[in-house]
Amino acid sequence: MIATLLFVAFLAMMLLGVPIGAALGLAGAACIALANADAQWFGLLAVPQNFYAGLGKYPLLAIPMFVLVGSIFDRSGVALRLVNFAIAIVGRGPGMLPLVAIVVAMFLGGISGSGPANAAAVGSVMIAAMSRAGYPASYSASVVGAAAATDILIPPSVAFIVYSVLVPGASVPALFAAGMVPGVLAGLALIVPAVWMARSHNMGQLESSLPRPPFWKSLREAVWGLAAPVLILGGMRMGWFTPTEAAVVAVFYGLFVGMAIHRTIRVRDLFVILRESGELSAVILLVVSLAGIFAYSLSTLGVIDPVTDAIVHSGLGEYGVLSLLILLLITVGMFLDGVSIFLIFVPLLWPIVQHYQWDPVWFGVLLTLKVALGQFTPPLAVNLMVSCRIAGVRMEETVRWVGWMLVAMFLVMVAVIVWPQLALWLPHYLGY
Amino acid sequence: MSSAPEPGAQLDAASPLPTDIPAADEPVKVPLAIEDWATVVIMGLLACITFANVLVRYFTDQSFAWTEEFSVFLMILLAMIGGCAAVARDRHIRIEYFSESGSMARRRRLAQFGAAMVALLFFLIAALSVRIVWDDWRFEETSPGVGLPQWWYSIWLPIVCTGIGLRAVGLFIRRSRTPREEEGQERP
Repeated sequence: MIATLLFVAFLAMMLLGVPIGAALGLAGAACIALANADAQWFGLLAVPQNFYAGLGKYPLLAIPMFVLVGSIFDRSGVALRLVNFAIAIVGRGPGMLPLVAIVVAMFLGGISGSGPANAAAVGSVMIAAMSRAGYPASYSASVVGAAAATDILIPPSVAFIVYSVLVPGASVPALFAAGMVPGVLAGLALIVPAVWMARSHNMGQLESSLPRPPFWKSLREAVWGLAAPVLILGGMRMGWFTPTEAAVVAVFYGLFVGMAIHRTIRVRDLFVILRESGELSAVILLVVSLAGIFAYSLSTLGVIDPVTDAIVHSGLGEYGVLSLLILLLITVGMFLDGVSIFLIFVPLLWPIVQHYQWDPVWFGVLLTLKVALGQFTPPLAVNLMVSCRIAGVRMEETVRWVGWMLVAMFLVMVAVIVWPQLALWLPHYLGY
Repeated sequence: MSSAPEPGAQLDAASPLPTDIPAADEPVKVPLAIEDWATVVIMGLLACITFANVLVRYFTDQSFAWTEEFSVFLMILLAMIGGCAAVARDRHIRIEYFSESGSMARRRRLAQFGAAMVALLFFLIAALSVRIVWDDWRFEETSPGVGLPQWWYSIWLPIVCTGIGLRAVGLFIRRSRTPREEEGQERP
């Protein structure tokens, strides 16, 4: 009864446009009060305690730091030089610029940890270049939005950090390693429909007439950007730093490159960079902490177990349940952002995961793949919002292009379900 | 069409990187600079402390681990203060699908409802956390890592949560204005 109220209140508030964190916190607080009607202060002291405890975890510090990394590399001029270098390698020709956009987005995925920051960095360079080569703006926005979605799979990734805080037994390095192969596969899968659509619609006719940047010069300019993922991922692999420290090292490396080498960041830009990334991190962290209140009331009400029992004994079988979950999450993912999905659904789904003895790391990769799909599924597609704003198109116009890329990435998700080793091989091999 | 096309991406070196469309803030009574400066200082401190940690560990054998407690506290403060500015700017994650459609009157009512709910929650947390601070002070709790009085940390919970609640009240008032007034200062 109270449990029903918890979900109904939360859903109603969320759909009415109440900020998700507030909806989670209020629904949770109301249920705690109802369930402890005879306790002192209705047991509500648990509300501020869980609010504080939900945040007071050291690993979460990696979130503001990786958001800051994204914001710095966004302005450091690295994306532009990587694009020139990539063009120097693959050359000019129809369908080459979309390919470059996807590859550069994957590469930047090895530096930044969030999709929208990646979409901003790649979009600011590629969308103008693609429109000069004769690609329609709506197509460019779709390619950039989809390509940036690989960012949360390719380590480092804010999504994996949140998942690891929620799930015992899935360490951040293991998740980072597990995301690598599916992330690269997802990027490669996106290239197929992107290039095919460009060719079949005769887009980018002007491209082959554009000059090709000289190889060695562009390599020399791109080398600072090329070294960044080596520093971040290599440093973590070698055990030089923890994920949080890797992020901070990347912050100072990015500042050095942006301020001293490429000279695209001035001292007064620092204020804007710090303010924007601080506010964005705060928005994420507040949802994390308020979800702590919701999760607490869920666990004290004891509703999860009966629901799990019902699902497990529904006769659907392991893969039936999994398909149902994916269907549910894809629907939810059209309206909710990734971090909120993790915070709401991981505690709910965890007993199911345990019942079927699914590997927590594998399940995390699956959820993240799903969130990546949601990042460019209209109507609520955070990456497309960014890329459409840069391209100056409405999100509705991207629908005709985005569909095939969604299918391509969905197939990668199916592959990861069928062959779990795609995700699990690398962490095993590295010994996490 | 036939004019020599510009080189592709290279041209963008000259064009400034688009620093997002400058989102003009709605005018607010209490300047947002308070939260903004606090956010900037905390973010800077967090980055510097953690970086110093790495450096100290490599150049000396000493562990700097006691800073962990301080970093976690700064992060909590960041979440609340940054969240405060985000309430004023209406940037919190929410589903706008239903609340941004329909008549102006409906949108206004839903925007008011959202702001009211935020205010309710944070005033509630602020009020309840006073009791926690009181307990920390009364029982002279000390923090597990450094051993500072715990209430030095927890005192900020009611203070900043009240601030968030007040920002939400401010948002409520701004959203309550008539649509004619609102049109001039609509969010980008």
